[in-house]
Amino acid sequence: MDALETPRGRHGRAPDVLRPGAWLPMREYPQNEPVDFVIVGTGAGGAPLACKLARAGFSVVAFDAGAWWRPLEDFASDEAHQAKLYWLDERLCDGDNPLKLGSNNSGKAVGGSTVHFSMVSLRFRPEWFKSRSLLGYGVDWPLDWREMWRYYREMEQALKISGPVTYPWGPKRPRYPYRQHEVNGAGLALARACDALGVDWSPTPLATLSAPRGDAPPCVYRGFCVSGCSTNAKQSALTTWIPWAVRAGAEIRDLAMVGRVETGGDGLASGVHYFREGRWQFQRARHVVVAGYAIETPRLLLNSASARHPDGLANRSGLLGRNLMVQTNNAVWGHLEEEVRWYKGPPSLALCEHWNYEDRGKDFFGGYCFMSQGPLPAAWVATQTGNHGLWGQALVDEMRHYNHQVGLKIVGETLPQERNRVTLADEHDQYGLPVARVTWSMGDNDRRLVAHALDFMGRGLDAIGARDIWSEAENTCHLGGTARMGFDADSSVVDADCRSWDVRNLWVCDGSVFPTVGGVNPSLTIQAIACRTADRIVALAARGDL
Amino acid sequence: MATPHTLRLVTLGATALMGAVAWTWQARETRAPRRRLRPDTDVLVEAARTLNRSAGLLALAVAADSALEHARGDFHNRAMYTPLATSLLSLLASGHGHRDDAAAAHRLRDGCYLAAGLTGLVGSGFHLYNVSKRPGGFGWTHLFYAAPLGAPAALVLSGLLGYYGERVRDAAGDRVPRVFGLPAGQAVALMCAAGLLGTTAEAGLLHFRGAFQNPAMYLPVTAPPVSAALLAGTALAGPHRPGLRALSRLWLRFTTLLGLAGSAFHAYGITRSHGGWSNWRQNLHAGPPLPAPPSFTGLALAGLAAHALLDEERHLTPFHARLWRRRPAWRLP
Ligand SMILES: Cc1cc2nc3c(=O)[nH]c(=O)nc-3n(C[C@H](O)[C@H](O)[C@H](O)COP(=O)(O)OP(=O)(O)OC[C@H]3O[C@@H](n4cnc5c(N)ncnc54)[C@H](O)[C@@H]3O)c2cc1C
Ligand code: SF4
Repeated sequence: MDALETPRGRHGRAPDVLRPGAWLPMREYPQNEPVDFVIVGTGAGGAPLACKLARAGFSVVAFDAGAWWRPLEDFASDEAHQAKLYWLDERLCDGDNPLKLGSNNSGKAVGGSTVHFSMVSLRFRPEWFKSRSLLGYGVDWPLDWREMWRYYREMEQALKISGPVTYPWGPKRPRYPYRQHEVNGAGLALARACDALGVDWSPTPLATLSAPRGDAPPCVYRGFCVSGCSTNAKQSALTTWIPWAVRAGAEIRDLAMVGRVETGGDGLASGVHYFREGRWQFQRARHVVVAGYAIETPRLLLNSASARHPDGLANRSGLLGRNLMVQTNNAVWGHLEEEVRWYKGPPSLALCEHWNYEDRGKDFFGGYCFMSQGPLPAAWVATQTGNHGLWGQALVDEMRHYNHQVGLKIVGETLPQERNRVTLADEHDQYGLPVARVTWSMGDNDRRLVAHALDFMGRGLDAIGARDIWSEAENTCHLGGTARMGFDADSSVVDADCRSWDVRNLWVCDGSVFPTVGGVNPSLTIQAIACRTADRIVALAARGDL
Repeated sequence: MATPHTLRLVTLGATALMGAVAWTWQARETRAPRRRLRPDTDVLVEAARTLNRSAGLLALAVAADSALEHARGDFHNRAMYTPLATSLLSLLASGHGHRDDAAAAHRLRDGCYLAAGLTGLVGSGFHLYNVSKRPGGFGWTHLFYAAPLGAPAALVLSGLLGYYGERVRDAAGDRVPRVFGLPAGQAVALMCAAGLLGTTAEAGLLHFRGAFQNPAMYLPVTAPPVSAALLAGTALAGPHRPGLRALSRLWLRFTTLLGLAGSAFHAYGITRSHGGWSNWRQNLHAGPPLPAPPSFTGLALAGLAAHALLDEERHLTPFHARLWRRRPAWRLP
C-alpha cells in the first residue's frame, strides 16, 4: 500500500507507527453530525491540540494533506527519496529575497514539519514575550513568560527532551527529563570555538531519545534526522501526540486536503470542505482550528472568504497573512586538519545562545543562537553548488574535505514587517485551489544581525584553526507570523487563546500566531502554545464561554 | 510493551523474587551453625577461595567490558590491550586459586593480582587524562561519554580482592589472622564495602545518564550502598550484634543476585535498542553493558567471605580473650 496514494487512517484503524505492520483502533465520526473540533493540520500545533482536546473528552477530527508514514518501514536512508516529506506543492515566491520553500521550512505529512525537523527544542528568552516594552522592538505577546515556562516544562516532559544537566542561559530551569546526547566532533568544534571566544556553549536540548522510551529506541546517531528518522528515536508529533490522540479517541484523516472553511449565515464556522479519496467532502463542526503553518493557514483563511467575510476569515484587522517572519539560517564553514565526521549524530548537537541573552555589543535588535552542523552528503553538495557554483572535478575535489568540514549556523530573529506577507495568487494547484504568493524582503535590522553573526562565528572558526573559511549569506528556515496573536481585534488576528477575534468558533494554532519569532527554533513554543490553548478551551467550556 | 506501568511491575516482581531467593538462601545456611573452639584453617582457606572467585568474576567482567569498549575504540592506542591481558591473568590466577586449598599465598597469583591492580590504577589515570584534555574539561558531557573513570577501578578491585585472598591464606596458620594490620574479617569487609560504594557510584553515573528510565535502574544504586553500610557496620560493631550480621548477610545475598539480574536487565535493555539482539554487533556497544553488573556479585560474594571470617573471629573471641591481653590489637604484621 502506498501511503501517498491510499489513506491509512480509515475503516476504524490507524497505523501503529511504533510497531511494524501493527494498527491501533481509531474512532470514526460521521460527517453530517458536527464534531466538537475539526483541526486542519497535524504538526507541532495541531497534533498536541488534538491529543489534549480528545483527552478532555471533546470529539476531534484532525485533517492532514500529507501521508501517514510508518517510519520503521517507509523511510529510506536516501536523502532524495525522503523529499516525500516536504510540502512541495506550488507556491509563488517574490519580494527582495524570495524564499526557498520546501525541505528547510515546511512539511506535508501526518506530524507536519516535525517529521523531518532537526529536533532542537529551546525555550524563548523570557523578555521576548515583551520585546516591545522591555527590549524596544517588535510587539509584545499577550502571554506571560512564567505561564509559558510552565508549558515548556510540560512539553519537555511529554517529549522526554534530552538536554544538558545545567543550562547556561536564562532563568534556572528544571532538569531535562532525559540526559544530553554525546557531543560529536562537529559539536566539540563549536565548544572549542566558544571557549576561544570566551562565551558559553551547551549540548543542545533535543527531541530525540538518549535512552529507551516505551517502544521507541534511543537514537542511533546516524544523522538522517532532517530526512526523517527511521528508528522512531525522534519524538516527532507523528510518534508522540498523534498515537496519543488516536488512543484518546481523536480521528485523524490523512491525505485529506482542506480547501475551505465554511461559514454559516451567523458568520460562524460550520465545517470544512476537504478533498480525500478523489472527491470533495464536507465535515460539520462546532469549532474549526486551523494549524497549517504560516503559509497554508492564511492561504486557507483567505480562500474561505464569504459574503460576511469578504477579505477572508478572521481578517477584520487586515493583518491576516501579514508580518510573515522567517528565521535567518546563515552559516560559516571551514575545514579542519583533523577528521570531524560531522554527519554522525543529529545535526546540531551543540549550541551557543550567548547572543540571545546578551544585549550589549549589538548593533541590531533581536537575537540569534548558533549551532554545530552536520549536513548529509547530498545536502552538502547542494550547498556547494548553490553557493560556489562548483561542478564536475571542482566539486569532487571539494567533497574530499567532507569528513574534515565544520560549520556554525544561526537561527536568527527577523523583525515583523507588514510588507512581508502571504496572499492568494491567480494560479491554481492540483486541488484547484489558488496557490499562495509568499512575499519576503529582508529588513536592515535583519541584515545587521546576520553580519554580526557571520563575523562572530567566523572568528570562532578561525580561532580553532579552520581553513578556507567562507560564509553562506543567503539562507532562511522556520516561518512565523501571518495570524499574530495580540491584545485587541485591531492589531491582531487571534487573542491569547488563539481564538479568532472575528469568528469566535475559529481558532489558529500553529507557528502563524507568533507576534515575533525570537532567536530560537520554534517548535517547542508552538507545542507549548497548543497545550495552553487546549487548557484554555477546557476552562472556557467549563465556564460556558465556548 | 515497555510502558512505564509494566516496567514498574517487572521491577517490583524482580525485587520480590530476589528478596525471596536471598531469604531462602540465608535460611538454609543459618540452619547449620558451626561450633568450633580452635582457629580453623579450612574456614580461612575457604574464604580465600571465595575471594579468588570474586576476583575472577570482576576480572571476567573487566575482560569482557574492556574488550568490547576498546574494540569500539579500535584499540587505537596499544595500551588499550593491557586491561584485557591483565584481567585475563587475574582470571587465570583466580581459577588457580579456586582449585588450590593450600594455606599459603602463591607467588604467581600474587604477581597477577598486583599486575591487574596496577593496570587498573594506571587505566584510571589514562581515562582521567583523556577526559581532561577535552574541551570544556570535566563537564557532564565527558563524565557521561568520554573514557569512563570508573571502569578501570573494577580492575583495581579485582586485583585487590585477589591480593587480599592471598593474604588471608597466609594468615590461615596464625592464631589471630590479620590482613594489613586489621583482623582479616574486618579488613576484607571494609575493602568490599568501599568497592561496593565505588561500583555504586559508577552505576549511579551511568544510570543517571540513562535518566533512570526503567525503575529497575534504581536497584543498583540503592541496594549495594545499604549492603556496604551494613557490612562496614558489622565489621566495626564487634561480635555482639547477631541481628546486624544476619541483616548484612541478607543484603549481601540480595546484592549477589542483583548483579546477575542486572545482566538480565541489560540483555533486556539491548532488545529495546534499535534492531534489538538481531543487531547485536552494534547494540552490544550501544546498549547497556552486559558484563558490568556482575561486579556487584563479585563484591557481594567477597562480602559474604568477609562474614565467614568475621564469624570465625567471633567464635574465637573467647579463645583469644586471653591472648589479646598480651598482644596489642593494631600491630602491623
Ligand atoms: C528541516 C526542518 C528542520 C527544523 N528543525 C527544527 C528544530 O530543530 N527545532 C524546532 O523547534 N523547529 C524546527 N523546525 C520547525 C518546525 O518543524 C516547525 O516550526 C513546526 O513544525 C511548525 O508547526 P506547525 O504546526 O505550525 O506546522 P507543521 O508542523 O508544518 O504542520 C502543518 C501541517 O498542516 C498540514 N496542512 C497545511 N495545510 C493544510 C490543509 N489545507 N489541509 C490539510 N492539511 C494541511 C501540512 O500537511 C502539515 O502537515 C524545522 C523545520 C524543518 C522543515
Ligand atoms: S540520528 Fe537519531 S534522531 Fe536522527 S535519524 Fe538517526 S536515530 Fe533518528
